[in-house]
Amino acid sequence: MSNSPHHQAPMSPVERRVAALEALLTERGLVPEGFIEQITRRYESETGPMNGAKVVARAWLDPRYKQRLLADGTAAIAELGFGGPEGDHMVVVENTAAVHNVIVCTLCSCYPWPVLGLPPAWYKDPPYRARMVREPRALLAEMGCPLPEEVEIRVWDSSAEARYLVLPGRPPATGGMTEAELAALVTRDSMIGVARL
Amino acid sequence: MTTPLSLSGLDLPRRNGELAFDAPWQSTAFALAAAVIEHAFGGDREPFRQQLIKAVAAEPDRPYWESWTAALEALVPTLPERSTP
Repeated sequence: MSNSPHHQAPMSPVERRVAALEALLTERGLVPEGFIEQITRRYESETGPMNGAKVVARAWLDPRYKQRLLADGTAAIAELGFGGPEGDHMVVVENTAAVHNVIVCTLCSCYPWPVLGLPPAWYKDPPYRARMVREPRALLAEMGCPLPEEVEIRVWDSSAEARYLVLPGRPPATGGMTEAELAALVTRDSMIGVARL
Repeated sequence: MTTPLSLSGLDLPRRNGELAFDAPWQSTAFALAAAVIEHAFGGDREPFRQQLIKAVAAEPDRPYWESWTAALEALVPTLPERSTP
């Protein structure tokens, strides 16, 4: 009956609101025991950019996998065991010498959780969401990713219908590397499109 | 034996040098939205997403997880009634 928290430190207003939501939703049977811990653990330690890096490395090594990945991102990513919330409607966009892709979600900071984990703080901030659409070249340069004028920049705004992942270009001189070695080269930012490898 | 974990006691790991959640209430709010999506809407994210879009638009400079919390609060009155067996 009483929803007294286990910790006695004074709660901030937003902490109180979240605690009230937790109590209410638990009472309605929507939060099974252990669910919050399970979700938190999954997104804090089991899900992250290392998943997306495996997808990228596989695509670099296996042309047929890459073909499937570009044709149906959700299915090809599921082949490697990654899926779940925010992982459906995955669209993978490929960087080439002529085209650079970058992802944003102007409305609500949607993000491909199963392959990238939780979004970095700047991804959720208004300046990134607004400027990546308005002036991507300038913003990319500021973020340490200057692009030659002749490279076309495509900005992909996430929606309910599509969630994007950038397939970065394979770095030069990586010919003899194994899939695991290649995956270690792939950064989160390169899969968002704010860095090149 | 399995006592409910207090999230505030968890040592949250860092990824890419950046902590995904700045405070336990944020991960709780995150997980509560996941619970609602999964258990009240059968996996349909759209009702929550629409509230989140509204919450972000209403106060664009509000910290993200606070908008997230506001979206969750706005979603509660719209939850489908559960038929208790």
